[in-house]
Amino acid sequence: MDSTRSSALHARALTFVDAFERGEPPPDFDRLATDLARYQADHVPGFARLCRARGIDPAALAHANDIPPVPTDVFKLARVATFDPSEARASFRTSGTTVGARGSHDMRDPSTYETAALAFGRHWLMRDIEEKIPVVVLGPSPAAAPDSSLVHMCKGFVDAFGEPASTSETWLVDGEILDVSSFDSRVANALALDKPILVLATSFALVHFLDAIGDATFELPRGSRVMQTGGFKGKSREVSAGELRSELSRVFAIPERSIVAEYGMTELSSQFYERTLFEIDAPHSLYAEPPWARVVPVDPETLAPLPDGETGIAKVIDLMNVDSAVVVLTQDRVRRPVGRGGFELLGRLPGAPSRGCSIAIDELLGGAKTRSLDVN
Amino acid sequence: MRTERTSASRTSDVLRLLRTARGIVERRGALTPALVASTGLSVAGVELALTKHLELDATNAELASLVRHAGDAKTVAVILSSNVFVGALRAIAIARAASEDVLVRPSRRDPAFARALVDAADDPAIRLDERFDVPSLPEGEIHVYGHDSTIADVRARALPGVRVVGHGSGMGIAWISGRADLASAAGDLAHDVVAFDQRGCLSPRIALVEGPQNRTDRFGELLHLALDDLARLVPRGVLPAEERAESERYIATMTYASRVLVGRDHVVGVAPSGAPLVASPSYRHVHVVAVPDEPSGSAFLAPIASALVAVGSDDLAAARRIAPRWARIGALGFMQRPRLDGPVDLRPA
Repeated sequence: MDSTRSSALHARALTFVDAFERGEPPPDFDRLATDLARYQADHVPGFARLCRARGIDPAALAHANDIPPVPTDVFKLARVATFDPSEARASFRTSGTTVGARGSHDMRDPSTYETAALAFGRHWLMRDIEEKIPVVVLGPSPAAAPDSSLVHMCKGFVDAFGEPASTSETWLVDGEILDVSSFDSRVANALALDKPILVLATSFALVHFLDAIGDATFELPRGSRVMQTGGFKGKSREVSAGELRSELSRVFAIPERSIVAEYGMTELSSQFYERTLFEIDAPHSLYAEPPWARVVPVDPETLAPLPDGETGIAKVIDLMNVDSAVVVLTQDRVRRPVGRGGFELLGRLPGAPSRGCSIAIDELLGGAKTRSLDVN
Repeated sequence: MRTERTSASRTSDVLRLLRTARGIVERRGALTPALVASTGLSVAGVELALTKHLELDATNAELASLVRHAGDAKTVAVILSSNVFVGALRAIAIARAASEDVLVRPSRRDPAFARALVDAADDPAIRLDERFDVPSLPEGEIHVYGHDSTIADVRARALPGVRVVGHGSGMGIAWISGRADLASAAGDLAHDVVAFDQRGCLSPRIALVEGPQNRTDRFGELLHLALDDLARLVPRGVLPAEERAESERYIATMTYASRVLVGRDHVVGVAPSGAPLVASPSYRHVHVVAVPDEPSGSAFLAPIASALVAVGSDDLAAARRIAPRWARIGALGFMQRPRLDGPVDLRPA
């Protein structure tokens, strides 16, 4: 572990956030990305092997797109970190599957991730509100889910954006129970004071909420917004994104554009948001990227970047993954629309269609790659 | 009015079908190109399937078991899909043992062998019906071979009173015991992997090696060499684009996380001890895992037990101990030659 070099790279990563918050052009993306790749190759034998196998000399890297991506499955099999486990100040676990252990993403300095998450989250969820407002999370508390990166991020949002409230008033899932009553109380108080509420929730928690209230409505105060993330993971019935958003809009009595989907995963330090809350013409499913992360659609076989308009799998270049993997290969299908920024999220890459009766192991495993609220 | 069929007559009908299949194999020259085209196997792969993995022989006890298992039905419709092509013989044999009215809907992608078998059988009780529609069967049974989604669709569309018997996707695993001669086991396992390019429900996709990591590493190396040798005789068939993508992903994952041995027509990934299972494609990709002992092997298999159709091993007793109760147990090298004693897949419905 080279903590001096790591700290310097963290500092450089944070200059991207500083520039973003000051409205200034970002520093040189490729330069930091390739420096991160060199650092990671120097300290992670697995990544060095991957570079060699791909015929890549890290010392010669000049472009972020030339860095070999690390498949998300690696996080389940190996420790993706440049430092000793004893130096981890945060350790997040990947989604649970029914087969084998979960992977982990260790962080030596989570403050970089936290700073970036807060900056971009503020920009797409809260940039129009200066004062603190009620924030509720339809999820377990940090104490109940200490290894969830989603919960960790939500805590950052609660601390930064939320007015003071008790744990039980903020984190509304305890075990299997969703505390609709506490949610109702927070909403009632906010309505009385005409304060908007920020709701942070996973898709399956929102489905459970809708099922719990049945035909009732649950009007939120004017100006409220909902951050919705993740899939259903077999924890609830599956609902299409459009259907869920429409139903939430009706129940909460807020416009659909106030329901903002977030795309992230434990293997990444950066997040991506729909732009609908602040860009009136922005469609849902079109995500904004921070200046420190890029989503590149690539050909699943060759990993060559695809032109705008073509669908590929998401290769994510994440400058905040300082001590892990600067480039991650997901299993999500994405497309960059022609003529506008951002990317569209098109669902998970289906496994190869079976041409025999041998089962696709991918079907067996069936785990999503997004963050989980699993506690175990 | 249906006449009573004795076990002897059912057995006789099955034997006649086996003789038909034997004749097809003897005259296979004309059929092979069609099989290569539809299956994607190499010429040698088709030859291997026909000459080594078509169940042409069965003991009296095995046939009796098949007939017993088949039961009795007025009509049996056999829907073949996503199957290794030789599976049509067993499927039709079981149906014929059960019924004097068998209709066969071959796989749309891979109809050649089933068509040839039915045509050559010249048995008025067996007919092809390539447009068979599930709700058109008023009574009897439908035996469907394919994906779980296909089976579910058939169940949903079948009329009440029609019994649907599904045979879905599955897999095999190999248990390499602590006492195994690694070179011999690797050579035998290679034969099981190569058959049908590992696309059958018996095909071993994972090898659990009992013992320390270095023993597993050695086994992986030996399996790699054995698969390379065998590929010279039986090259892999066409690797479709989606599988190439999954292969590349698996290679990258194992390169980073542990170790991977990439051959001309195969990939052997050697996982770190205690690591969870990750997705690997078929088409001659074997995921090799070290497990310290049999209880650990059982524990590793427990979450995927519902998918296990077969366990092969150098130690059949050990395989029986770690396998789910329904799994077919066979010697390495013979995993893809199950006895003709009933359906290949013995998992509970």
